[in-house]
Amino acid sequence: MKLTEKNIRATVPRVVRIKFIKVGSLQYISHLDLQRTMARVLARTKIPVWYTEGFNPHIKLVFAVPLAVGVESICEFLDIRITGDISCEEIVERVNAGLTSELRVIEAYYPETRFSDIEAADYIYKIKTVGAGYELADRIKRFLTTPPVMVTRKTKSGERDVDIAQAISRLVVSYSKAEGGIEMTARLPAGSRLSINPALPLDALRSRGLALAGDITKESYSIMRVRLLFADGREFK
Amino acid sequence: MEQKKDIRKLSSVLRSVSKPGRYTGGEFGEVIKEKSNVKARFAFCFPDTYEIGMSNLGMRILYGLLNEQPDIWCERAFTPWVDMEEKLREYNIPLTTLESGDPLGEFDIVGFSLQYELCYTNVLNMLSLANIPLRAADRGEGTPIIIGGGPCTYNPEPLSDFFDCFAIGEGEELIIEFTRLYIEMKESGEYTRASFLRRAAATVGGIYVPSLYEVSYNADGTIREYAPACGAIPPRVRRRVVSDLDAAYFPRRLVMPYIETVHDRIMLEIARGCIRGCRFCQSGMVCRPMRERSPELLCGQARALFEATGYDEISLSSLSVSDYTRLPELTGRLLDWTDEHMVSLSLPSLRVDSFSVELMEKAASVRTSALTFAPEAGTQRLRDVINKNVTEEDILRAAKAAFGFGKTSVKLYFMQGLPTETLEDLDGIAAVARAVVGEYYRSPGRPKGRRPTVTVSVSNFIPKPFTPFQWEAQDSPELLREKQEYLKYKLGDRNIRYQYHDVGTSHVEAVLARGDRRLSAALELACQKGFHFDAWDEHFDYGRWLEVFECAGIDPSFYANREYQPDEVLPWDIIDAGVTKKFLWRERERAYQGKTTLNCRQSCSGCGANRLATGLCRPCGGASETD
Repeated sequence: MKLTEKNIRATVPRVVRIKFIKVGSLQYISHLDLQRTMARVLARTKIPVWYTEGFNPHIKLVFAVPLAVGVESICEFLDIRITGDISCEEIVERVNAGLTSELRVIEAYYPETRFSDIEAADYIYKIKTVGAGYELADRIKRFLTTPPVMVTRKTKSGERDVDIAQAISRLVVSYSKAEGGIEMTARLPAGSRLSINPALPLDALRSRGLALAGDITKESYSIMRVRLLFADGREFK
Repeated sequence: MEQKKDIRKLSSVLRSVSKPGRYTGGEFGEVIKEKSNVKARFAFCFPDTYEIGMSNLGMRILYGLLNEQPDIWCERAFTPWVDMEEKLREYNIPLTTLESGDPLGEFDIVGFSLQYELCYTNVLNMLSLANIPLRAADRGEGTPIIIGGGPCTYNPEPLSDFFDCFAIGEGEELIIEFTRLYIEMKESGEYTRASFLRRAAATVGGIYVPSLYEVSYNADGTIREYAPACGAIPPRVRRRVVSDLDAAYFPRRLVMPYIETVHDRIMLEIARGCIRGCRFCQSGMVCRPMRERSPELLCGQARALFEATGYDEISLSSLSVSDYTRLPELTGRLLDWTDEHMVSLSLPSLRVDSFSVELMEKAASVRTSALTFAPEAGTQRLRDVINKNVTEEDILRAAKAAFGFGKTSVKLYFMQGLPTETLEDLDGIAAVARAVVGEYYRSPGRPKGRRPTVTVSVSNFIPKPFTPFQWEAQDSPELLREKQEYLKYKLGDRNIRYQYHDVGTSHVEAVLARGDRRLSAALELACQKGFHFDAWDEHFDYGRWLEVFECAGIDPSFYANREYQPDEVLPWDIIDAGVTKKFLWRERERAYQGKTTLNCRQSCSGCGANRLATGLCRPCGGASETD
């Protein structure tokens, strides 16, 4: 058989990276549920994906950094293995036909980087709380940048105390008059080595009575993961 | 602009409860419509958790069917889990649907799927969480019409004070006629709650409006009669059936849950009804006659659903899968493409015969969930009484086939407390279980050094309306507990695992199953006391139920442990389920004589279900009989 680009691609599974958003209602869907959902989406949109060859064949999916429940994201990454001849553009189009506006593919491409090199993530917080104003923004900034700020972190191996002030490597806090709330951007460890749940800084604020300690129907917040980063601060792609 | 709910309103609440994905909606396949374009808004409520409700085939069908109508918008609501309920009550947030996030009270029609008696407290709790008056009599013109459907409506009486109406039987045609009538009367300006309910009762077959029937009682507490309020409504409400299953609506797309549900797969409804006629089984009696879908159509439906959902499992659904006449053809056709698409086929309630073993060998993708077998009774005598036409040889042959195929565990279902039961019958349960264990050790192919697991699950007999055992008394709770202790002793074997059902639960279920309107006082009290999720062991409290019955002046034994008299007016006599009372009594007498009855394919027993529509019973046509 004559070797062409096309028939090689048809025989060897090729990794395609999918970048997608997970927002709105979808922030309440766990990582495990997302995995199952994505496998079904690929099946119903007839993407020629590679199945494992074991006793119980399944679609091989590799996600970059799992997202905590209650956190939205515009920068999720998923690697799939494609067996057929299909363009990245077509993958985006087809997969999106099987998704909703809250779980949506932005782009698909052949990856040149590794998930294992991801070290951090940036999160944007929007906090509606009692006493929101320029002064509160300053107090929050000072509090979260003055170690130690100890909070309890739940891991598989039990509870552990972590210094959130040390974990945050960059922090911007401001007051948005238009939105009537505090806006905060924080960089936290994220990746295979260490991940810090972005809700922990809020736990610290709450425990200190700085924000979100009152009526949960009047106070609210959202957390959005906006980018993943390499150790040197470059944006992951 | 489509109207979808704003999830942000609930965000702080959602972050503080378990499994928030139950409450968000937003699934692929969810139907969102523009409010101003629809003429009737229907809230389909399932009185249990999202995971259970989303697995219900009836809900899948009716959601798809109603939303196919451009001017009707059907949305979903489930019972919030206890942590969510607490938050809703704490912050005074009314119960809403998943789609629009609008409170149930803003809908035109609120429909409840009534699948089991122990969900009744959840129904009332959902009404209460939605701030809808519990009692139909207290509802004003602005409130939605509350309708109930599903298996429990074969005796809806305990709930009759809380519902404006019930839909009796298969809902596909009925629910559309009902909602259309609502729209018509709204548009013509004739609508009032009373006029609509009256006209629905008179003109839509299968609609039962309890407030239009006056019930009177005898001095001994039994019912004297049901008196219709006017001549225009039927003296008995006849169950609706779909005569041609191939022509019936079938959803070609589904709402795809993100969180794992109980039946997270394609459910292919291959047939309705059952030919068997087990004398304790309500489904087998009230779903008569058996009707099948054609393999050609089913295969097309399966393919369409696979393409619309991406599910990797198809499960064949019917009361008795192995009675489907063209099963080899159907499975053959399905396996033609399922293997290639990594889709597995699961066959629940399969009779382990030569065909199934062959099927398992042929296709790696056929899943048989832990092999189960339901002899229901321990001796041939009692199996004849209940008309369960299974012999011990059948059971052992099945076990042998399963062990030969390399299986090491088998599950056996039995019932205790059946009419005419003696100690020998309980001994028989142990004997069957031991014989199955023995079969394992005789099996040459068994894995070396491994012991079998024979699970014996014994439930308590509950007399159900529209069965030949509808008149029977349930054993007293004390006697049932004694029998459980006896079985525990008899089944002491390291290869046998004995499971049994909570006696208190079975007792309350029996009360609700055969109850009348007077039970509404107890249910209302239970709701006020915060009862919910009674089908969940961790929330069921028998002691509190007994207190509630006592406070409401209800003697539970009157309903559960009393033998109903042959000439007594039964609470469910207001419903005509198809099978006649004469037939059921005849079957009861045969039971006491130990005589079995042939299945519908062998011989027509004249049950009366063929009266429901012409040409229902094929090929025999059935002997006709009326009550």
